[in-house]
Amino acid sequence: MKKRLISWTLLSAMLVALVGCGQNATEQNTDNADASSNGSDDVITVAMWDSPQEPGFTQILEKFTEETGIETRIEVTPWDQYWTMLEAAATGGSMPDVFIMHSNEIAKYAENDMLLDLSDYIAQSDKIDMSKYPQDIVSLYQNEDGAQLGIPKDIDTVALWYNKTMFDEAGLAYPDDTWTWEDVAEAAQKLTKDDGSQYGFAVSPDNDQGGYYNIIYDYGGYVLSDDQQTSGFDQPGTIEGLTVLMDMEKNGYMPPYTTLVENGDCTLFMSGQVAMTLQGSWKVNDLTNNDYVKENCDVVIKPMGPNNVRTTIYNGVAWAAPSNSSDPETAWKVIEYLGSQEAQQMQSDLGVMMSAWEGTSDNWINAHPEFNLQAYLDVMDDTMVIFPHSRRTVNWANMIKEEIGAGFTGEMTPEETCQNIADQMNQILKETN
Amino acid sequence: MGGKNKTVRYSAKKRNEAWWGYLMVFPTILGLIVLNIIPIFQTIYQSFFKTGDFGKGNIFIGLENYIDLIHDSSVWQAVWNTIRYTLVEVPISIVIALLLAVLLNRKMKCRVAFRTIYFLPMIAAPAAVAMVWRWLYNSQFGLLNHILGIFGLGPVNWISDPKIAIYSVAVVGIWSVIGYNMVLFLAGLQEIPKDYYEAARIDGANAVQQFFSVTIPLLSPTLFFVLVTRLIAALQVFDVIYMMMDLSNPALEETQSLVYLFYNYSFIEGNKGYGSTIVILLLMIIMVITLFQNYLEKKWVHYN
Repeated sequence: MKKRLISWTLLSAMLVALVGCGQNATEQNTDNADASSNGSDDVITVAMWDSPQEPGFTQILEKFTEETGIETRIEVTPWDQYWTMLEAAATGGSMPDVFIMHSNEIAKYAENDMLLDLSDYIAQSDKIDMSKYPQDIVSLYQNEDGAQLGIPKDIDTVALWYNKTMFDEAGLAYPDDTWTWEDVAEAAQKLTKDDGSQYGFAVSPDNDQGGYYNIIYDYGGYVLSDDQQTSGFDQPGTIEGLTVLMDMEKNGYMPPYTTLVENGDCTLFMSGQVAMTLQGSWKVNDLTNNDYVKENCDVVIKPMGPNNVRTTIYNGVAWAAPSNSSDPETAWKVIEYLGSQEAQQMQSDLGVMMSAWEGTSDNWINAHPEFNLQAYLDVMDDTMVIFPHSRRTVNWANMIKEEIGAGFTGEMTPEETCQNIADQMNQILKETN
Repeated sequence: MGGKNKTVRYSAKKRNEAWWGYLMVFPTILGLIVLNIIPIFQTIYQSFFKTGDFGKGNIFIGLENYIDLIHDSSVWQAVWNTIRYTLVEVPISIVIALLLAVLLNRKMKCRVAFRTIYFLPMIAAPAAVAMVWRWLYNSQFGLLNHILGIFGLGPVNWISDPKIAIYSVAVVGIWSVIGYNMVLFLAGLQEIPKDYYEAARIDGANAVQQFFSVTIPLLSPTLFFVLVTRLIAALQVFDVIYMMMDLSNPALEETQSLVYLFYNYSFIEGNKGYGSTIVILLLMIIMVITLFQNYLEKKWVHYN
């Protein structure tokens, strides 16, 4: 009996342990690949999460290989698994040779000295000039001592996409640079059909950076205080801005909440279900490659708040290397090239992304001349707000995505929803800062 | 096992056999120790810490994680979600698989083809399965609501209505696992000697009586094995929920399982200590249920 008891205990315990190991198993493939490239063969692995960018970067890195003879290999891991992969790799000491870092995660890696200090390399480089990148993005990737841990890769902003066919049908003028959020709400009402086949506007609860964060700042509110210590969700501007959005949902100008969360605003727009949506520039590849969007839609500068304030949240990711890199010189050569004016020019010429290097993004819009992508560049002349971030951005950002729905469904008033988020966010900030 | 005082003497041949036996199981045992046994103790150890990033800077906090766990309503909701999922998935999948196995054990046309079809879901990657079902369940464009619409019913919010989402997820679980259970039952059925059925027929038992008086008792070891392993697997449900439920889904709170919470705390929010505590709770639940089953085993399982 005793023996059996032990074996049963072991069996059940083993299966529980398997749960933990199962998660890691998916990452192991990439880890192994990294380990091998760190070791004997001289291929430099370059890790990223955005697969639409892969073809462009294959071309850029081919050019790099031509010039230097250094072989590279791109590894794409979807966003949701990218950070789990990177954390596991960092814990095990086998990170990719070069990878993309994000403002959400940089603090954790910087504090634990996981990233290669690039400061000395930058000082000696004739290709990298830190003054050419937006300073907010440069300082995102510095640690407390001011060491530079990443070279800015790109920059993203936000614009309003609209369906021309639906506007024509409703006899409305297309949105332009004079539009405020009230104009959007008014048009959304006229563009909504009673039979549920078409809605005026959509921003889903998980579209924060490209969606409702922008509205919050347009109305004079904020998400996070400048010292990163307190939530701005209890600010009158925040509540006012989100009320405009939640009212659109309540009045039925946005698709029902379940439709919104099950499909996402971008998909609903691309399938001709909604007339307008706010989308970040990282979605441009998806949107411009969609046949329906090509035929019916265009993009315009995003609307303003009540006091003619037009804000765009912007952010930029950066190229980084691990601090325990077996060959930091070579890793730096890749990063140096990717950060150089030449590669950044290529990045936007190929239509991959807007580049961080000053003045290299003008050609980005030429990759898709049928759309008014200038909207994403023009908005940079207005108020630019760097994507809110703290030591543990994901913890509260995910909480907001979970909790904001109560205000959409009408389960809570906008004030209650915002207060609830503010309380929880302050608690998380207190625990994690 | 009252043999403490007796000295058992093994012959040289037996000892030789035993040595070879240990040698054969050594690789498996080694794998178990490195991949499973050690992580179990590490997990238990970690649950007493406020863990730092990248496994560095752990701070010992005693039972604080456990105290938090007791007061965390989302954990108990997750326990309830996990149990509800298990209570739906396991019995239904076993009953359906058993019926299919009995039907497919007879001589019939296209038997192999049917067996293959029912086993196919096992081959598909769980993530892919979840994505396909997610589209079937889609409230706006999904096939299920489209069919309901033809009959003037619905639409049903299969995966975003907090009341039914967990059952929709369980249906995917049932669909995925039927084939696996069926194959095990088929193997069990073929072990049953034909004579028993012959004898039962001579005694005048009809098909239903044969099923309950011959098939079920003689299949009980297989049934027991399937029940134990499926219960454990169902209590660990994760991938279907992870793939089908978005953060902003209003049904998430009523759907997330313990392993989902564990994943969220350990790998998204970087709180591995609390994640470990959750998984220890799951270990306790599984252990209690499995020991209870082990106790019941004697009452209904017949080993010839």
